[in-house]
Amino acid sequence: MIPSQPATYPHQVVDPAKLPGWDSRWSRLVNVATTDGTRQFHVLDTAAVLEESGIDPQHVDAIIVAVHGNPTWSYLWRNIAQASIDAAHGKIDLGPGCGRAPIIRVIAPDQLDMGFSQRLQHSSLPSTKSKTTTYRTVDQRIHDLDALLAQILEADSDTPIFTLGHDWGGVVSLGWASNTTLRRSGSGLDPVGMISLNTAVWHDEATSIPAPLQAALAGPVLPSSTVVTPAFLNTALGLGHPALTEDIKLAYKAPYSNSTHRGGIGGFVADIPVSEGHRSRSALRQIATSLSVTDKPALLLWGAKDPVFIDRYQHDLVHRIKNLDLHRYETAGHLIAEDRNIAKPILGWLRQQLSGPIDPTSDPTATGGSSAVGTYTPLWTYLDRWADSSEKALVDMTVTDRDGSPFKVSWSRLSTIVDAMAIGLRAAGMRPGDRVSMLVEPGRDLTAALYAVLRVGGVAVVTDAGLGVGGMTRAITTAAPQWIIGEVPGLTLARLANLPGKRLSVQTMGPIARRSLGLTGSLYSFATTYAGQKYQPMASHPHPEPSDDAAILFTSGSTGPAKGVRYTHQKLSALVQRIQTTLNVSPGSSLLAGFAPFALLGPAIGATSVTPDMSVTKPATLTATALAQAAIAGDTTVMFASPAALRNVVATASQLSHEHRIALERISMLLSAGAPVPVDLMDEVLELVPNAEFHAPYGMTESLLISDIDHHTQHAIATQDDRGVCVGKPLDAVRLAMAPLDFYGRPGDVILEGDEAKGKLAEIVISTPHMLAGYDKLYDTNRQTRPDVVDGLQWHRTGDIGHLDAQGRLWIEGRTQHIVTPPTGALGPGGPEDDIQRLSQINRVAIVGVGPVGTQAIVAVIEPHDSSIKPGLAPTQLTDAVRAATTIELAAVLVTNDVPVDIRHNSKINRPALARWASQVLAGGKVPVPR
Amino acid sequence: MTVLQYVTEDFTGYNVLVTGASGVLGSGVAQALRDAGANVTVLQRSASGLDGIREIRGSVTDSEAVSKAVEGVDSVIHIAAKVSVSGPLEQYQHVNVEGTRTVLSAAQEAGVARWIHISSPSVAHAGHSIIGAGAEPADPQAARGHYAATKATGELLALAADSSAFRVLVLRPHLMWGPGDTQLTERIIDRARQNRLPLLDGGTALVDTLFSVNAVEAVVAGLKAVDTVHDEALVLTNGQPRPIGEMIRRIARAGGAKEPVLNIPSWVAKAAGSAFERLWDADKRGDEPPITRFLAEQMSTAHWFDQRRTQEALGWKPRITLNEGFQLTGQYYNT
Repeated sequence: MIPSQPATYPHQVVDPAKLPGWDSRWSRLVNVATTDGTRQFHVLDTAAVLEESGIDPQHVDAIIVAVHGNPTWSYLWRNIAQASIDAAHGKIDLGPGCGRAPIIRVIAPDQLDMGFSQRLQHSSLPSTKSKTTTYRTVDQRIHDLDALLAQILEADSDTPIFTLGHDWGGVVSLGWASNTTLRRSGSGLDPVGMISLNTAVWHDEATSIPAPLQAALAGPVLPSSTVVTPAFLNTALGLGHPALTEDIKLAYKAPYSNSTHRGGIGGFVADIPVSEGHRSRSALRQIATSLSVTDKPALLLWGAKDPVFIDRYQHDLVHRIKNLDLHRYETAGHLIAEDRNIAKPILGWLRQQLSGPIDPTSDPTATGGSSAVGTYTPLWTYLDRWADSSEKALVDMTVTDRDGSPFKVSWSRLSTIVDAMAIGLRAAGMRPGDRVSMLVEPGRDLTAALYAVLRVGGVAVVTDAGLGVGGMTRAITTAAPQWIIGEVPGLTLARLANLPGKRLSVQTMGPIARRSLGLTGSLYSFATTYAGQKYQPMASHPHPEPSDDAAILFTSGSTGPAKGVRYTHQKLSALVQRIQTTLNVSPGSSLLAGFAPFALLGPAIGATSVTPDMSVTKPATLTATALAQAAIAGDTTVMFASPAALRNVVATASQLSHEHRIALERISMLLSAGAPVPVDLMDEVLELVPNAEFHAPYGMTESLLISDIDHHTQHAIATQDDRGVCVGKPLDAVRLAMAPLDFYGRPGDVILEGDEAKGKLAEIVISTPHMLAGYDKLYDTNRQTRPDVVDGLQWHRTGDIGHLDAQGRLWIEGRTQHIVTPPTGALGPGGPEDDIQRLSQINRVAIVGVGPVGTQAIVAVIEPHDSSIKPGLAPTQLTDAVRAATTIELAAVLVTNDVPVDIRHNSKINRPALARWASQVLAGGKVPVPR
Repeated sequence: MTVLQYVTEDFTGYNVLVTGASGVLGSGVAQALRDAGANVTVLQRSASGLDGIREIRGSVTDSEAVSKAVEGVDSVIHIAAKVSVSGPLEQYQHVNVEGTRTVLSAAQEAGVARWIHISSPSVAHAGHSIIGAGAEPADPQAARGHYAATKATGELLALAADSSAFRVLVLRPHLMWGPGDTQLTERIIDRARQNRLPLLDGGTALVDTLFSVNAVEAVVAGLKAVDTVHDEALVLTNGQPRPIGEMIRRIARAGGAKEPVLNIPSWVAKAAGSAFERLWDADKRGDEPPITRFLAEQMSTAHWFDQRRTQEALGWKPRITLNEGFQLTGQYYNT
């Protein structure tokens, strides 16, 4: 028996100091005429405090109605409530160029039987079975919300209302927002948009419910785990990533101190309609259905490490709600409102909703990107055009023919295989838009598989081993492919990590392997089965549109989890054109590529793709001999290799035979990217490849080609005073703009081009026809990286910083996360690192800042060649040399023998990790290991 | 010996009392003001050895000497203090609290308009590291050691006396060093010469210091700034934090000693410091313990400051860089 208890103010029963982050002036008690009588609610409402700040709560930019879930209370929304007040004081920065934060009022009721709202009388403990119950059902809770809002808000106000919900409060808020009939006959309110954190509006009975809920729902366990004991409450509060602090946990528990206060927790769990006969089943079905038809825009912020609201519920919402923006937080969980700052993305999204979209590509039909968008050429154009050609399309030195000679594939053979594989994929059930994770080593198999997938309209998900197993698993889980194509290692990983998607192997495997890897087919069997058949589009599988997604490429993840970068067919086509025209890799040439992204593009360029004998994921395994042999086999004229690979080529050059050297002399173009190419390396390589032009293009996963510098220019700039890594002038069709940094290192709101942009340390902003269509499932990253619209073009804030010199050449000086802010003004680490790097004693150097922004001390962290020097303070002589090499005021010179670098390029120094390390060291205490 | 030159504004017409002019800072300030045209009075127990200056011999606790000293004075620069790391509380209280009270009331009675109060960052330091912070309020309860606690009380006394007619500006120089400085510079040099100078935890704690010439110029600049900025405390540093180990090495070298090679963990030093504090009888021995807990903490935790407000308020920037300071110090001790 649970008695009725009135609503209370939290501060009447709890010492306000025990509710960190909570302002008791937000609390109000509201009597509401609900469907079954007057009930009293405790409501968080920021109106009173806004008024004290001089804001009329009737004239705010928007109202957020936030509904908590189970077992929390409106305390969950304290940060968004505080943001509402901070925004009123102009203290919320949505990001450079992202506009002013809207002024909002937050209204967040505690649901009945929950938080500090009224406790209803219950004669028995909650149960899932009974047809009727005294506990609130989801339908009643939606009606309660409508009645409450009718009491607080005026229906004729033109202030836009947005809903916000979490957990089962997500269901209630989405249910209210999408149920027009209920609202029209009730409050008359009409929300304009919906925001939700982890929630679920549909459960397919065919699949089992997540284990933690099964435990809570298991018959007699339900009352004891949810009401009688605080077990469920404690479990839910244990889901923080990172763990909630004790004082925050206690604040959440405050309204649930004994079992007579916890009836609602059990009531909520018992109201989850997991079976067909459940009393709330039809209500939930109705919510799911109305969400399928609503036009209201929605924002979903999703913590991926949630054991209850697992990925399938996120996929359901994404497919169900037409107009939905998703941001997935890979390392946050169920309590995402605690794990992350959700106020910024929410206010940023509101800003966009209120001001209208400022992102031209949020129009999915837009294919623009630059004024110089070329004509669209499908990626398989040359496979069709040269379907009868016996010329070489692929030369793969990692495998040999039966007679021991390098493996070669003609255009006609490649075309036939791709067609047959595409027909097989279609027959196996692959549909346009299906995502396909390609766990295949670069080479002929990956090339054939990729073009087959693209023909069918599939979207290739490309992750490389440089992410590490953990990073790769996370990336693929995020991309959520419908298919995985792999070889034994990749498929085994897929099996072990329980990755999503149907499995296809490349080579045909025996029955045992097929079963154990869960395979539904193999590409080689498709190639055999459909050999000779021409791939033709059909109604279910038309040719992909230029604006359709073609690929998701993952960044190297050197700063946080790897991000998926979306490319459309149009964007890839534009990239191919850049390589053809700007880099002069013309159709018919032979491209020797030791660099994965470019190796794959050979067939689209119309170039022979030559794969040297090396591990593409370990570039330093390329030897001079392997390079020369590939050049001979492929009659190569163009060569592409990373600086790490080239360094090894130079180191192994003594093994070259006369014949090898002659082959290398035939190369006319040498390209290197992925990391800065020092001029001395260029010179050394050019001794081996004397007739080549050496170009080092600059780019990133988000836009593989931005600018280019050749070795002549490298020599010409050697005497310039500019510092950093010079990457040359922007390529044709690339628009380059700069967002200058202010004193605190914040990039400007306005981007500059031309002379105005020169000589200022700035974030680099680009607009290219071949740049990303957007980050995948990262709404807030898209919002912050693409706020700029100039000349009607989409721009991308790259996160790289640097400056333009007087000639308009670009110099890179680091990343925005690496900006150092001493009292003399913001600076990039690249310049001083460039100076210090010239010292012969230094292997690597990182410039980092320690201390508060605006008054940081600058520290040089060095890795000397002499590994006998102990980590910690550098010896005096070395310190003197480092200080003398730079003009900036260095507070300290520290030695480490463990500079953390990214796996993919083995060159990008993790400066934030070193900054943390330096901060620890310089605070005093023992010298830790950098992590 | 190198004669140090100070660059200051003109102080013609100023009548300034400098207390504690026997130390490097006090005598430097007195000289600088004298050279800038001020009428300077100094008050300290021992002879200052300065020319062209009115000298009163006596302690700041001696009200007779103090009232003589403040006669006809419009500005006071209060530097006199008992500075040490050991000894009984009463001795510190006597000078740093009661002495300050005596000079304060005499100055107010004499119609003094400006009071530059030399304090120490340790008055607001509870033993944790300080990383790019500004000047926090003085806190006698939290301050570590008798010196810091009594300086905190003295600073609060001075600030409590602030008014538009009696303008108080508190300056807290941090780890001042330079030619002739016996407090820090010569101790480092002496101990390094005797190979008795360890670094704690590799000497990596980042600390701010202040070259003495800059300290003098900052205090003199304060005498102008106090007309617009008062009732405020400012930390004074060179704005060039360095790992403590690097500072010690360079000062040792400037003094012609070898770089210290000894390195001990800070917990050992702190434990040893605590033991010395209990057992050392400074009065009997006539010198100070080789290490105290306070000193061990100071040498093994970061202390560096945000100087933006200080430089703006004083209209002053350190003129001599650390490197130039090392050179000047080297010249002083090696010629």
